[in-house]
Amino acid sequence: MKNILRRCGAWSMGTLSLGTLSLGTLLLGTITMVVAVWSSVLTGRWWMVPLAMLAVGLFPLTRWIDRRRTKPPSATETPVAQRPERPRAQVTTAPAPALPPVYDPNDPAYLAQRLLEQHRYALLLRPQIAANLKKEQLQAAVRLLDDAMGIVPEGDVLLQSWRNQGVPDDSNGPRERLVHVEAYYLDRYPVTNRQYQQFVDDGGYENMSLWDSTIWPAVLDFVDRTGHGGPRFWVEGRYREGLDDHPVVGVSWYEGAAYARWAGKRLPSDPEWVKAGCWPVLTQGTRPMQRRYPWGDTLDRELAHLWGSGAPNTVSVYEMQGGVSVGGIYHLIGNVWEWTTSNFGVWDTTARRLETATPMKSIRGGAFDTYFDTQATCQFQSGDSPISRKHNIGFRCALAMCDVVSLEVDQLVESDQMLVSCGASAEEGRL
Amino acid sequence: MSNKGVLPMDSYRLAQYSVQVPCFICEGGNSFDAEFCRHCQAPMALAHQANLRKIAPQLVATIGSADAGKTVYLGMLTDMLSRGNDDLQLLARGAFSVSLQQMTMSALSNCEFPDKTPNEPERWNWIHCQVRSSRKRNPTELILPDLSGEAILEEVDHPHTYPVIRAFLSKCRGVLILIDAVRLMDGEKDQDFFTMKMLSYLGELDDDPKTGWPTRPISLIFTKADRCETCFDDAAEFARKHSPGLWQHCQQRFKRSHFFASGVAGACAFQMELGGTRHVPLRVEPRGIVEPFRWLVEQIGQ
Repeated sequence: MKNILRRCGAWSMGTLSLGTLSLGTLLLGTITMVVAVWSSVLTGRWWMVPLAMLAVGLFPLTRWIDRRRTKPPSATETPVAQRPERPRAQVTTAPAPALPPVYDPNDPAYLAQRLLEQHRYALLLRPQIAANLKKEQLQAAVRLLDDAMGIVPEGDVLLQSWRNQGVPDDSNGPRERLVHVEAYYLDRYPVTNRQYQQFVDDGGYENMSLWDSTIWPAVLDFVDRTGHGGPRFWVEGRYREGLDDHPVVGVSWYEGAAYARWAGKRLPSDPEWVKAGCWPVLTQGTRPMQRRYPWGDTLDRELAHLWGSGAPNTVSVYEMQGGVSVGGIYHLIGNVWEWTTSNFGVWDTTARRLETATPMKSIRGGAFDTYFDTQATCQFQSGDSPISRKHNIGFRCALAMCDVVSLEVDQLVESDQMLVSCGASAEEGRL
Repeated sequence: MSNKGVLPMDSYRLAQYSVQVPCFICEGGNSFDAEFCRHCQAPMALAHQANLRKIAPQLVATIGSADAGKTVYLGMLTDMLSRGNDDLQLLARGAFSVSLQQMTMSALSNCEFPDKTPNEPERWNWIHCQVRSSRKRNPTELILPDLSGEAILEEVDHPHTYPVIRAFLSKCRGVLILIDAVRLMDGEKDQDFFTMKMLSYLGELDDDPKTGWPTRPISLIFTKADRCETCFDDAAEFARKHSPGLWQHCQQRFKRSHFFASGVAGACAFQMELGGTRHVPLRVEPRGIVEPFRWLVEQIGQ
């Protein structure tokens, strides 16, 4: 009997020490107190009485904490799709950012401010939206555009066959093709982890309107190591600490396209990407002179992060600034391959076309593990499945010139008048 | 019509002919100017190179089924280590040791895979090299041949068909076994069976529990892992799932075996040709090439 009483006493102490959150009923608390007091009387442990009373007092407190924790979501919150739990990797992730300020979704001024904070200035600069903005907001958006994107002028670019570049035309057909490219803006740097985190935090993986309808069934499978929506190598929806300015990798072509849509941009096409790097100059006739690399015709491994350049992984996009193109675009060669909108081999004019098991999207520029110099030129094209999420493929975004309101900064300061550059029907804003 | 001439009596030449030069692989006697061993067709240059050095080279075999990627792996490995970007460095001994590297790199840089290794032993490429490591004081001399997959299979099924393979594997200090991960993942069991046959063959050659194959290092490499990325996450787990027989075999009979994953081409396409389809690498980005070799060299040194 003594043993039983002792056990009861121990159980009540256990209840106290564990602070059981689930059993928060007053009835159970009372029974516990009675048993504890009885056992303490019989065993002579008087000091247990105040502790048992404290335990009873804790029940309402724990109940209240439980209620706070299990508060149901409000009706305005979007339900998040259930994802399977996967084993968690032991890695350090970047600290969660401070909670953003609360905006009134119906207030256009706050909405514009929020888009500016998220660097989604391209949405604000659309002709049909820019007209409704305040002057300061428009100025801020233009400044962001100037800082983050470079202009690639209109003109022709020679696209060579995906291999055997520099070899003259043979019986299999011409090895190069002249393609006209309209002027456009291109991101100065590949999209970084920090930028992509904003897309993830903004519910990019739950907002199905950002994704091609054909890929909807696969979106639930675009998860990180722990089953959260995000790039393949992230953990619990966050990138690893210290990789803020590294290009985001482990993203499929569709994830790149969804991010671009969220930011109000798009992925560049193959000719656009090549033109930004080769920077063709038309001197005589119709065949432009083009560069082999953005900085010239000779490879220097100190200007591009390739195999043998140093770290066997990605580096910050702000390193190796010497490899900049004429138009002020960085990291076109090396660090990560970049998705483009074109299909692999579509510009290949030779008769000996390649077959692939699945349709491939074109990737350009080489990566940190690209071994041969010949495969890290502006002209070299490789390809991969649009749903593959490789460790060395990232992307950067483009923006058509006609999707941006034409502004003269001086005029902007003096007056609110804005000149719409073209009446091209831009996509409906996703605001 | 005949030309008259005077031929000097080269007594030293006659003396050289009278002394037999043993082949480094099979130890059969050969004349001093023979290019290949008349017994096993291994190049006699190996014996001449070994005679010049104080340290006897150690033999490491690279085996696997046809089209497993032995030539690409060896060519890539030698090129990567000869560039000096790793703590392991490889220096070729003799001009013949550079041929494989040259052939493989020239093909890969043109986005092609090298031609299939012929079955004739005298046409195989051999590498005699010195391997230096920043972790070890003394360099290691190694001989690595690029054996034909079909010839290995023939020798395993019908022993003594290729004496050079038998002699070489008997003297090997370690082995790199290449397994096609894509075929394994597709459910083709031939890779599984071939590797188990190969391991059994090695066990038959020398099953001494102290000095034989049960205690010699065996590096099992899943090649073409770029096309099945899960292989890179955990190669041993991949083996356990897709090749349980092989995994069990290694666990039970070979104490010093380790699984690795490697890949050379980031993506592949194919081209229709008269003889069938030809695989084409769309880019070259080596992964997991040096690690199995480093492990093996460290194990041999212990």
